[in-house]
Amino acid sequence: MKKIHILGIIVIAVAIGVIFTSLQSSATYSDFAEATANPDIEYHVVGKLNKTIPVQYDPKINADECSFMMVDNKGIEKKVVLHKSVPQDFQKSEQIVLIGKMQGNEFHANEILMKCPSKYNDGKPQV
Amino acid sequence: MNKTQYIGEHLWVGQLGNAFVVLSLVAALMAAVGYYFYSKEELTSDWKKFARLSFSIHSFSVIGIAATLFYMLFNHFYEYAYVWQHSNNSMPMQYIMSCFWEGQEGSFLLWSFWNVVLGNILRKTIDAKWEAPTMAIFALVQVFLASMLLGIYIGDYKLGTNPFILLRENPDFANLPFVQMENYLAKLDGRGLNPLLMNYWMTIHPPTLFLGFSSTLVPFVFAIAGLWKRDFTTWQKPALTWTFFSIMILGTGILMGGAWAYEALSFGGFWAWDPVENSSLVPWLVMVGAGHVMIINKNRGGSLFMTHLLAIASFLLVLYSTFLTRSGILGNSSVHAFTDLGMQAQLVIYVLTFVLICVVLLIHDKLIRVSYLMISFLMLFAGVMFGHKITLLLIWLALSFVITIYSYIKFFPKEEEEESLFSREFWMFVGSLVFLLSSLVITYFTSIPVLNKLFSLEKAPIKVADYNMWQTPFAIVVLLLVAVTQYLKYKKTNLKQFLKHISLAGALSVVFGLSAAIPLYFLKDYSTSSTTDKWNLISYALLFISALFAVFCNLDYWMRILKGRMKHAGASIAHIGFALILLGALISTSKKQTISQNTSQKNVASLGENFSAKKSLVLTIGDTLPMGNYLVTYKGKERKGIDVFFNMDYFTKDKDGKLVKAFELSPMVQDNPRMGQASNPDTKHFLSNDIYTHITYADLSDAKAVKADAYKEPTNYVGHMRDTIFADNAIILIDSITTNLTEEQYSKNDSMLVVTAVLKAIDINGKTYRATPKYILKNNTVLPDEFELNELGLKFIFWKINPNEGSIEIQMSEKVNNTKEFVVLEAYMFPFINVLWLGCLVMIVGTTVAIIERRRVNKLKAQ
Repeated sequence: MKKIHILGIIVIAVAIGVIFTSLQSSATYSDFAEATANPDIEYHVVGKLNKTIPVQYDPKINADECSFMMVDNKGIEKKVVLHKSVPQDFQKSEQIVLIGKMQGNEFHANEILMKCPSKYNDGKPQV
Repeated sequence: MNKTQYIGEHLWVGQLGNAFVVLSLVAALMAAVGYYFYSKEELTSDWKKFARLSFSIHSFSVIGIAATLFYMLFNHFYEYAYVWQHSNNSMPMQYIMSCFWEGQEGSFLLWSFWNVVLGNILRKTIDAKWEAPTMAIFALVQVFLASMLLGIYIGDYKLGTNPFILLRENPDFANLPFVQMENYLAKLDGRGLNPLLMNYWMTIHPPTLFLGFSSTLVPFVFAIAGLWKRDFTTWQKPALTWTFFSIMILGTGILMGGAWAYEALSFGGFWAWDPVENSSLVPWLVMVGAGHVMIINKNRGGSLFMTHLLAIASFLLVLYSTFLTRSGILGNSSVHAFTDLGMQAQLVIYVLTFVLICVVLLIHDKLIRVSYLMISFLMLFAGVMFGHKITLLLIWLALSFVITIYSYIKFFPKEEEEESLFSREFWMFVGSLVFLLSSLVITYFTSIPVLNKLFSLEKAPIKVADYNMWQTPFAIVVLLLVAVTQYLKYKKTNLKQFLKHISLAGALSVVFGLSAAIPLYFLKDYSTSSTTDKWNLISYALLFISALFAVFCNLDYWMRILKGRMKHAGASIAHIGFALILLGALISTSKKQTISQNTSQKNVASLGENFSAKKSLVLTIGDTLPMGNYLVTYKGKERKGIDVFFNMDYFTKDKDGKLVKAFELSPMVQDNPRMGQASNPDTKHFLSNDIYTHITYADLSDAKAVKADAYKEPTNYVGHMRDTIFADNAIILIDSITTNLTEEQYSKNDSMLVVTAVLKAIDINGKTYRATPKYILKNNTVLPDEFELNELGLKFIFWKINPNEGSIEIQMSEKVNNTKEFVVLEAYMFPFINVLWLGCLVMIVGTTVAIIERRRVNKLKAQ
């Protein structure tokens, strides 16, 4: 067996290792129902901000926490506690992705990704 | 039907532009065909003239397209959608350049332009033997790029997207009401450049990065030409200079992107493993691998398959990254996420065509080659006609992979002699393999959205921490190789001498490394960390030591072995730069400190450790709060156009404990009408660390527009006796209600009824004030009356009594300046980030030295 073959085997082993572990550990997109069923697992929940209910954010009490209602893609609405300051242009968001876990009846998120219609999008005319 | 006669349009410009677009496509096609036939015949043929002329016409038309677009932008011809979308009248000259490549069409054009520049240099400098095959592939790439600008419909399918389309003909804008008017141009102003991009980075970063992308094409065409002509070695020497150039310029482009993110965007760092960043990093990593195996080939021969594989892969990965970033497939996972211009299919075909060409050229058997081609076309046909595109694509990729392996085993020359374990070539080869592996892992992580689509998965994007965790081991191995490999000799090394050579640098880096890494990573953090974090800390320490080892070894090699001469020092200098980049990235990221700690009283420990990382600081105007080694004061905001600056003073304490102003920072929030709010950080640079501050929440309304002692809009309160109302500066208690008449008296005679609400206002210092707003009723009409409590800046109107509910209604107005303005900010300290920037410069210098040396040697040999 040549050294080059040993190298090849190492490369393939690392590649399989990466694919295997990342498939096991990486989070999946999900909804509130699944997050409620598995409160220990971190999920990425996709949904929309309920804009009729005001976002609660009082920096004088806690600048790293805001809460709001979000409707997930299956239509379930839950209170969300985001452990961050309120995102800029939150009211303009079209879709949001929360990363976190369910705690009781509240979804506690560490991270938020927003998709805004205007941001980085020049295709559509703005009124 | 009466056609509207539009006034003031410059239609000839667009027609000229379109003529250039078509000409560039046709000429590129002619050049590709011409060079193909030229490559088959003897060197002096008519095909040669034809091909060269066609490529010149193509070059001329690409420059023509660019010049036309510039002309339109300079003259503000808003009848063209591209001009209207990306520029406006008030735009300073230097940003017109940026408008040019803000849109997709312009950036494709920029790419095509650089290709033309490099193509002409290549054609002038290349050996006669290689001109035809390389330029044929080059021209073919240009055919595809030119088709990206075509913007014509074939049936329902739109091919490319055209920068010369009229505003009133662009389906996105044609329905705008003003476009229907015949003199719509008279008052029309463009939408302008996205203000977020109005900085000098936008002027220098895209051209550099696209030159980097273009530069990967040259090694690619050489490698393809090598496969084609089954001459696997002679192309490598001329290609090596180009490979070094590509490493240098693409590396510069990527690092500029990092610097831009760090200076002007609110990522909170210089690298976020964003898909767009990754897709420029991956081709670079592969190109570095390609450069190193080509050096092996030059000095000792061999490594043929790897040189071809890596040189080809780098460009294919550029194409793949173009697909990722331009097809809209990344969706939510990137901040860059370009709009989907409906070019997904076109980009996929573009990538796959070049994969097909590589595989076909690798097959050295007519029957297999023809069958593979036939099967591919049948599958394409089936996909277009009957659907199941994804399944077919997967089958085709698997088939191509199998055929590649088969062809390699069957048709590709292999070395007889095996490299010795203690040879330079062996470990350089291992290093290139590590680069390839690292880039494959990044590609796999970045492609999660693609895999979701291919296999209908729901996987979330990979987190930054996981990227870091996976890449650290690769970085450690690469740094160790960078350190020791050049002390090894080609073919065979005297082991004793090798160990003697590296012992000094080794000892130094272990001593320095441990004495720095132990306090950095082990004294405070280690014992309290979780298992994953412990593993991370160990890998940080190892990375730290190996980076130092790489720096010391290369310095030592340069000084002792090369005796400090510049001529051959390119590699050593570039290696030092590379190691410094990783060292700086490691320290500044792993020891990044959040200095804005939350000062809120709320107990956060109960929320669990996940949520205890508090980052924000609330800073009220005039307050001075501690932040890291500083005390910081918020002085107020200042609006300049759409930019709102928040001015902060940072103080330190001198020897006597007195506050001394250290510096000022003005982080900015852009109140962007098109894009919404965007936060721009401000950073104070010191030699050993940076203080980075950015605003996460602030009221942007203009304080000066409203007088400070004006009253804000009143708020209505419905209250019962003993209820409280909260004002910003006081608590107000409804104490009692008195009347001048009983109800009976009022109904008997016609006099005035006065009901007085007695309010007790208690301010923050506990001082009590009395307010007595009156409800006055005469002849069944409420007479307006207001009570002003000047001491507290409050105004009350008692305007309604609800006898049935037993409640009263009071309107309260507060003065604007009762509410103190505040901002919420995050601040970080990045230690030793200058090591990273220094490393960038050193690496650029090193690669440039190597390029100059390559050119000198090549010239000497040619003579």
